[in-house]
Amino acid sequence: MKILIVDDSSTMRRIIINTLSRIGYTDVVEGENGKSGLEKLGQGGVEMIITDWNMPEMDGLEFVKTVRGQNAAIPILMVTTNAAKEDIVEALQAGVNNYVVKPFTPETLKEKIESLLG
Amino acid sequence: MDQSEIDALLAGGGKPPKKPKAAAKAPVAEPMPAASAASVQAEPHKDGSGHVISELDTVTSVTERESNKVMDQLDQISQLVARQQQLVTDMMRHEGAQSPGAQKAIHEVMSASKEIQDKVFEAMDLMQFQDITRQKLERIVHHLRQIHDYIVDLLGTGLKSDQERPSISHTIAQTGTTPDENKAHADAVIEAFKSQKKG
Repeated sequence: MKILIVDDSSTMRRIIINTLSRIGYTDVVEGENGKSGLEKLGQGGVEMIITDWNMPEMDGLEFVKTVRGQNAAIPILMVTTNAAKEDIVEALQAGVNNYVVKPFTPETLKEKIESLLG
Repeated sequence: MDQSEIDALLAGGGKPPKKPKAAAKAPVAEPMPAASAASVQAEPHKDGSGHVISELDTVTSVTERESNKVMDQLDQISQLVARQQQLVTDMMRHEGAQSPGAQKAIHEVMSASKEIQDKVFEAMDLMQFQDITRQKLERIVHHLRQIHDYIVDLLGTGLKSDQERPSISHTIAQTGTTPDENKAHADAVIEAFKSQKKG
């Protein structure tokens, strides 16, 4: 399964990639903002998206809305520092399937990914 | 949001409070929009505040670069431990290693090795602090700029109401530093949203 990780922090992308590899997902592609995320998505084969919210050029919310305009089915997990209830609801309304607040534990990421794929 | 509000949301099936449009543009309790994040880093202010922003940008870039170096080192330790585990596994097959004493020692080495691997992964996960600190700094810069603009505006146009004053404490306080400290809260909001959608 190919997973697209969109986050402007290279450290955070590495942490997510490490966590994914520990739970058996090694096929990943990376984008550093919504724009490059869309480019990677356009290259095909992506079956799940993990995206940050606060990013330059195109933020995670706009990215999710754009993706949802083209693909209603692909599972999207938002991983962000935004913890306010209004933010979570706004992300869900935009089309996010699940939501993780940073900092997270690998167990939480695993649980959320499995619930999306299950 | 406290537990009573979460409970009310879960029980009442009431609509989750929508962000008032006017408030969405207000500086209070708002995550910094990405466009602002970009402008914070890109536009130097004529009054020299751009210098501070640029300094902060440099600080975050350096910490990100250094964090990646730490991650490289941790990756290398992880690979060395994996290599060590492979060597010990190979050793276990040798005839000379079949005695109970040797087997016990090998198991102890394997167990210690696994513990090191777990600690390496734990250290990698802790590196999330870099991204979180970076975002906190960006928010502080964003709010500093708003305070700056407010003061400039205030001196030009007179006193504004309290509501219009920028507040950073709420937004900064929302950004946690302990892993999963916001998980229960986020899960409760997701559940409430889903049950409201079903209903």
